[in-house]
Amino acid sequence: MDFICNFPFFSILLSLFSGTVCSVLSAKAARIVNRVVILAVGLMSAALLFYLLSTGESFIYWMGHFPAPWGNEIRAGVLEAGMALFFCIIMYLSMAGGAHKLPSEVVESKHNLYYILVNLLLSSLLALVYTNDMFTAYVFVEINTISACGLIMIRQVGRTIEAAVRYMIMSLLGSGLLLFGLCIMYDLTGHLLMSNIKESVELIVANGEYQVPLIVSVALMCTGLCIKSALFPFHAWLPDAYGYSTVSSAAILSSLVSKGYIFLLIKIIYRVIGFSVFNSTRMIDVLFVFGLMGMIFGSLSAIKENDIRRMIAFSSVAQIGYIYMGFGMGTQAGMVASIFHILSHAATKSLLFIAAIGLTDVSGGSRKFVDLTGAAYRNKWAGAAFTVGSLSMVGIPLFSGFISKLLFAQAAVQVEGKMLASLIVLGISTVLNAVYFMKTVIRIYTSEPEAPYEGITFRNMRAYAVTLVCFILLNIILGVSSQPVVDMIGQGLAMFA
Amino acid sequence: MYLILLSILFPAAAGLFLLIRGRTPLSGEKGNTDRKTLLALTGCFLVITASLVFASLLTVKEGFTLFFLTKTLPIYFRIDGVGRLFSLLAVIVLPCAGFFSFAYMKHEERESRYYGFYLLVFGVLNGLCFAGNLITFYLFFELLTLSSMPLVLHSGSKEAVMAGLKYLFYSLCGAYAALFGIYFLYQNCDSLTFTADGALRASAITQQGGFLLLTAFVMLLGFGVKAGMFPMHAWLPTAHPVAPAPASAVLSAVIVKAGVLAIIRVLGMFGRDFLRGTWVQSGWIILTLITVFMGSLLAYREPVLKKRLAYSTVSQISYILFGLAVMNETSFTGALFHVLAHGFVKAALFLCAGAIIYKTGKTRVEEMRGIGKEMPLTMWCFTIASLGLIGIPPTGGFVSKWYLALGSLESGLPVFGVLGPVILLLSALLTAGYLLPLTIHGFFPGADYDYGSLQKKEPCKLMTVPIFILTFLSVLIGLFPNLVDGIIVMAAAGR
Amino acid sequence: MIVSVILIPFITGILIPIIPFRKRWQKEVFLETAVVLNSTLVWYLLLHHSDSTFLLAHFTGNLNISFRVDGMSMVFAGLVSALWPFATLYAFEYMTKEEHENVFFLFYTLTYGVTLGIALAANLLTMYFFYELLTLVTVPLVMHTLTREAVLASRKYLYYSLGGAAFAFLGLIMVIVYGTTTDFILGGVLDPAKTAGKTNVLLLIYVMAFMGFGVKAAVCPFNAWLPQAGVAPTPVTALLHAVAVVKSGAFAIIRLTYYSFGTDFLKGTWAQYAVMSVVMFTIVYGCSRAVKETHLKRRLAYSTISNLSYILFGAVIMTPLGLVGALTHLVFHAVMKISSFFCAGAVMHQTDRHYVHELNGLGYKMPCVFGIFTISALALMGVPGLAGFVSKWNLAGAAAESGNPLAWGGIACLLISALLTAIYMLTIVVRAFFPGKDFDYRTVSDIRDPNWKMLLPLFVFTLFIILFGVYSQPVVDFFMSVATGAV
Repeated sequence: MDFICNFPFFSILLSLFSGTVCSVLSAKAARIVNRVVILAVGLMSAALLFYLLSTGESFIYWMGHFPAPWGNEIRAGVLEAGMALFFCIIMYLSMAGGAHKLPSEVVESKHNLYYILVNLLLSSLLALVYTNDMFTAYVFVEINTISACGLIMIRQVGRTIEAAVRYMIMSLLGSGLLLFGLCIMYDLTGHLLMSNIKESVELIVANGEYQVPLIVSVALMCTGLCIKSALFPFHAWLPDAYGYSTVSSAAILSSLVSKGYIFLLIKIIYRVIGFSVFNSTRMIDVLFVFGLMGMIFGSLSAIKENDIRRMIAFSSVAQIGYIYMGFGMGTQAGMVASIFHILSHAATKSLLFIAAIGLTDVSGGSRKFVDLTGAAYRNKWAGAAFTVGSLSMVGIPLFSGFISKLLFAQAAVQVEGKMLASLIVLGISTVLNAVYFMKTVIRIYTSEPEAPYEGITFRNMRAYAVTLVCFILLNIILGVSSQPVVDMIGQGLAMFA
Repeated sequence: MYLILLSILFPAAAGLFLLIRGRTPLSGEKGNTDRKTLLALTGCFLVITASLVFASLLTVKEGFTLFFLTKTLPIYFRIDGVGRLFSLLAVIVLPCAGFFSFAYMKHEERESRYYGFYLLVFGVLNGLCFAGNLITFYLFFELLTLSSMPLVLHSGSKEAVMAGLKYLFYSLCGAYAALFGIYFLYQNCDSLTFTADGALRASAITQQGGFLLLTAFVMLLGFGVKAGMFPMHAWLPTAHPVAPAPASAVLSAVIVKAGVLAIIRVLGMFGRDFLRGTWVQSGWIILTLITVFMGSLLAYREPVLKKRLAYSTVSQISYILFGLAVMNETSFTGALFHVLAHGFVKAALFLCAGAIIYKTGKTRVEEMRGIGKEMPLTMWCFTIASLGLIGIPPTGGFVSKWYLALGSLESGLPVFGVLGPVILLLSALLTAGYLLPLTIHGFFPGADYDYGSLQKKEPCKLMTVPIFILTFLSVLIGLFPNLVDGIIVMAAAGR
Repeated sequence: MIVSVILIPFITGILIPIIPFRKRWQKEVFLETAVVLNSTLVWYLLLHHSDSTFLLAHFTGNLNISFRVDGMSMVFAGLVSALWPFATLYAFEYMTKEEHENVFFLFYTLTYGVTLGIALAANLLTMYFFYELLTLVTVPLVMHTLTREAVLASRKYLYYSLGGAAFAFLGLIMVIVYGTTTDFILGGVLDPAKTAGKTNVLLLIYVMAFMGFGVKAAVCPFNAWLPQAGVAPTPVTALLHAVAVVKSGAFAIIRLTYYSFGTDFLKGTWAQYAVMSVVMFTIVYGCSRAVKETHLKRRLAYSTISNLSYILFGAVIMTPLGLVGALTHLVFHAVMKISSFFCAGAVMHQTDRHYVHELNGLGYKMPCVFGIFTISALALMGVPGLAGFVSKWNLAGAAAESGNPLAWGGIACLLISALLTAIYMLTIVVRAFFPGKDFDYRTVSDIRDPNWKMLLPLFVFTLFIILFGVYSQPVVDFFMSVATGAV
């Protein structure tokens, strides 16, 4: 086994450890540590990805060299490494993009805590991505929840507390359901390691035993993760949580945290239950229907919204609907589309959040659309970035959103019965997206005769602008040369099986 | 070939010249010399055009294609019998009315605009008569509408503008309905060149006969708009009274006949054999008879002279259409004869009415008591023309109505064969009823008429001479139908 | 080469705000030179085209961005590139009264490139890409004045267009999945083996995609954006909302119908009847609204709505002759409508009058403008001898020949619409030339024709209206060879 195989373990441990270290460092040092760790993890993931692509096989890493069923396992395939790399990129950019706002958002003394939470979040995300053990997954789900709550709450404005409490309750409900499902599964199979569970599940299905408990367990785990990833109608917590937390938190939460859960669900579908078994349950139809409804209702709520951050947050509900619609199609193509959309949505949504803060900054801190009039002239970079993000969300070719739309639609056509519904909803949802995003874009490009707020120049926010440019580039790269990414996803899914 | 082109392009160019020359509206106070040059120019143009037309009528035998509008649509000119007949009418009436206008338009503004469009209309009418296929014909038909509209709204009053627009939209409506038919004729004929005995392919008749009948009916209705056929006659009584009298004369005597010409062409394209005995024929006859009767009735009730004459036109044109609809040789001859007879008579009547308006300013019939004493010459012409319209021998009207009734009786059509002549007769009675009172009251104003204030108001020669000529012609063709017999026979035979 | 004609406008456009022009005429010369150069290049390209496809970039899977010159592209690219230099010339004069010129010319020139992109696209994906881009680059033009009205209009335009594209996208997907390729091939690319048993779904999606692209072509009920977008400066309304943008919609529909789904698949199905009914309704609806409208430019916009549906009517007849009719009207209407719009713009520029009832008596003070307006009005009505007649003749001829009873009804619609056209156009002419007896000429005494920059395009367009009217043979023959796939 190559040395590089240690990287997943290293990266989880590194971020966990650095989190602890941060508590004793000064705020500034903590920030540097945080950035360095994210970078390091990103580099390791990149290296791992190349390694895996060159070998073309996934590997299982025994923690402490204890074999199953006693030991805890980490598994790394192309998809896992790619996802980890991507998460790191987004996280780094989000942190960089929100850094200049941090002093005004969080009290000085809590800066350490902030970086601790971010590091913990990273470690839990990495663990969710890499783990091959259901119970470990559960544990890190909880860690994830707690650090996310902290990230929301740390801003300590009245509404953030409320938002955090709401988030906490819903999340705990979700993890509770996940735990129940896990327990039942453990009862049925007697295993906690994913590969072992899968073998047993195959046996059970083949023998035709315990049909009901199996389905109940699948349903519980699905529902739990759906709640946590804010699938319609479990999205009530989301707008406040994303809308009022700090910028970086909002960007990270919307683009990474919910995606972590979704990725876990994908792992469960492929590695625990088995794709074909999962497809034979009615679960996919349920996911499909709620996905479609999410696409419509999320957008409708966003249209009604008068606050730019909350509007973006509601848009997330719609986008998560897309992802679940892809699951609900029950085909490999649908799954590829969903995973691609995870990437594209993560890249776009964090861009939007970061750009939105630039716009509100030059509008007296107000997030109301009325005040945002002409904001793009006052902050040109944020305006351009917001436009790019919006166009991507609407699905204009060149940007990543178009590719995911394309993949979804192509996948939908191959599914008899669900084709028309998904295509039509896709169309309607695009129209709705266009309505609220374009409304905003036009608004920010409508200049008032005398702007009441100061503009901002490139010199004052070099780091911010560079971040935005990186985001835009990322978005366009995903949009233009999507083929390698799609291939990689396909390869990764093949390794899952 | 060049004669035909010249007779179309020369008046058109002359008209445009006048239009461009006189486009400044602010020079309202034009000098007398200016007006004289204008009149002299217009007079020259009219005479030259008329002689050009005569020359082409006499010399040109061959048709020719000017150019191709699209690959299969040639702009083609040819002078055949029907075209010759209508052209004859136009070339007589237009200069007459034109010279009449020299006097009549004295007090109107923007004379040059009037003459400009007048000449344009002349050119377009020549084109219409000489057109050798349906597309060329349609081209000039549209242009006719467009160029004659400014004549209607010349006075510029709100009423006149509205009437002009009404005329325009009715005519275009008709033209487009006809165009609908042309599209299908084009599909089902080998060429759109005029013929008198049907150009439809035999296969088309068997396959789409029913639809083609519908098309034919739509075309008849469409071109019928111009001819004032019920139910699309309403523009006529609106447009005539507001136009200057000579314009009304041209409108009523010639331009309305363009609709008749069009219908003759359509009949030729579809072929009378194809339409005879079908619902199209019956429907059409019913419409014409309604129009004949209704027009007379409305004219009878109408107090304004020019409007009364306009209703009379509605009625009389449908005499012609009835003759065409019966579709036999005799009635066809009658119809063609009536084209000439009505043309001369109605032009004369309108010019008389114009003279009365110009001299006395009276427009309503009841004001015209004793008018015969004031303007005896004019009223004598009016009386003779009236007799022609009623159909009393020895005027042209008698000859045409005789043929019409005879043809109808000969045709052996059920019901209409007999009903037609009866209605024609009734209508003739009504015609007498609405025209003769003018003569009677004009010459015999009654005992209480104040002879003391009587003034001679006879108009100048420019007005009376055209009226004389037209009245004379209307009697002439009645006395010696043989004069035009040759041309009518040629037309009826479709040569 | 083929990419350069798309790139040159892009570069030129971007350079305009960057280069610090000292005087206005320098900018004008620079821009006009670039545009003329590009148009020349386009024509060179069209006349010396090879049949090869130029692959710019792989997109994903077998999808790629590539360009090719075929018959349809020659028609559309030729049209656009012929009109653009004139419109630019006109814009120089018109924009003297407006603000932020640089932004205007930036996007105006970008639009040129994007429209050429649509015209030269070799496959559905490339076309879709430029189609979306077109929406984006034209929004700033609509928004240009930044008044509340303009913002609302641009917003509506954006919603409608992007929404339409979302449904057109479904058509793209169908072609990707059920077709053998996304390239444009006359006769369609659907694979019969794959489509078996899915006909109805495909037809439904076709109708959706038709309506989606139809948004740009202002098919009823998606036409509301076009009259509103008339708040844009006239060069935009004239060139984009009468030609480039709206015709892109029609062009896209023709591509979709004839080159992707294929007429064999669609002809005689319920889908054909459905879209044809919509189109027929739009023809009459647009005209009726135009008659009611009193704002000059909006009236012309409604007229455009109706006339665009003429084109679509030709397209949905789904015979080669129908395509010929559609193409004829595509080109001829462009010339006619741009000329009437430019007249309207000239009136607005010279007099600041926007409503029809304010035009009384102007005919004598601006004889050139209103003379040309009259000619374009007559042409739009379809008076023989002018361009409009030929295109209507081709359309109606195709409809009559198709043997489709609904298409026969369509002829009736065309004629009703022609009558309405006469009403809404000629009332303007009559007003201008016959203002009525008691009209006070002093109210118009200081009004005169605009200068040569505005008049030159007008005269050129008029010349073409007449030329096409009397001698359309070579053009129509060329369309015929396009429709039969000979080019």
